[in-house]
Amino acid sequence: MDQKEIVKRISEHQKIIYKICNSYCYNKSDREDLGQEIVYQLIKSCSLYNPQFQFTTWMYRVALNVAISFYRSSKKEDVVELVGSHEDAEDSNHDGDLAEDNFRALHQFINELKALDKAITILYLESKSYKEIAEVIGISETNVATRINRIKKILTQKFSNHNLK
Amino acid sequence: MDNNQLEILLESYNHRLEEARVLNLQSWVLNYKCYEELQTQKAKSKLKGLILVKLVVMLLGVLWVLFVGFLVYHSLDIVKIFFVISASAIMIFTSWAVFVYGHHLVLLRKINNTDSVIKNQELIARLQFSTINITRILLLQMPFYCTFWWSIQMIENAPAAFWFISFPVAVIFSLGSLWLYKNITFKNVNKKWFKILFNNPEWHLLTKANDMLNEIDEFKNES
Repeated sequence: MDQKEIVKRISEHQKIIYKICNSYCYNKSDREDLGQEIVYQLIKSCSLYNPQFQFTTWMYRVALNVAISFYRSSKKEDVVELVGSHEDAEDSNHDGDLAEDNFRALHQFINELKALDKAITILYLESKSYKEIAEVIGISETNVATRINRIKKILTQKFSNHNLK
Repeated sequence: MDNNQLEILLESYNHRLEEARVLNLQSWVLNYKCYEELQTQKAKSKLKGLILVKLVVMLLGVLWVLFVGFLVYHSLDIVKIFFVISASAIMIFTSWAVFVYGHHLVLLRKINNTDSVIKNQELIARLQFSTINITRILLLQMPFYCTFWWSIQMIENAPAAFWFISFPVAVIFSLGSLWLYKNITFKNVNKKWFKILFNNPEWHLLTKANDMLNEIDEFKNES
């Protein structure tokens, strides 16, 4: 795949980058930096794209690797700011039926997950199949199923502990 | 909250994460020319900086080994036996550290973001953590910096000073360096002395690398 083609496809699937940056970064400037790094790494790695994978699966692989490395090199331990809550309010398009408290709590609970569990959660949110999640993360499908169940239990438990509905 | 409620919340949350276009991404993704600009900026990326630092350290290490080797070669005499043994040991440990640095450079070249997350992150975490191996190796040569200036003549002329000062100092340094070599490991990363020895930012990176390796091990044990 050449650079022009990859740029076209990145823009088609740019939501993936938004989602990962919003999940792994502490503030707006970090999100900008991470987004730029992901795009750079995607374009740089375009010659390594393996057509046996779906483009989005490959894109998730690169983006999650960059994001986890970025997260690990960050010295901050702050809570990741919930997107659409402050300066980004005008851009948000969240479901008004769900309480803001629940969103905030879910965001915090996902942020508290370990880096790899968080990566699995992001892929699960995207409704990726277990097979695709397994390909991106590098574990077996059974392992993915076990992990997802465990993550759901953790999240449900945290909601119960915080008396949130 | 039950499982169904969680699923509904996750779905809405996913939508919100995607729609919050907090980045100025569109402008630089859609503008192909920006890639050229990005390329120039990223040429100074952290990874390249790290490779450069390792290359410079390796070069300095090689020069140091050559210099010490030169001194040893011109000191091959029984009178300078302590110097020859100490300098040779320093040379061996420095060469070992240079070799490990070389291995790091090979590992750095293997980092590939298109690999699976576990494979790539394990490589990065192991690389990050193995930087402390260099410290461990270099600490082993510490006692030899206390002995290179010894001579048979010095021991004969001032036995008290040698046996009560120089020798005990060398023994303390030997025991200290062996203890540190044995104890600077993963399992002690959260101990207070470890935090003091490795300054804060580095300790922070090491703990994160350690956490990642533990998490990866947990995944591997499950499969």
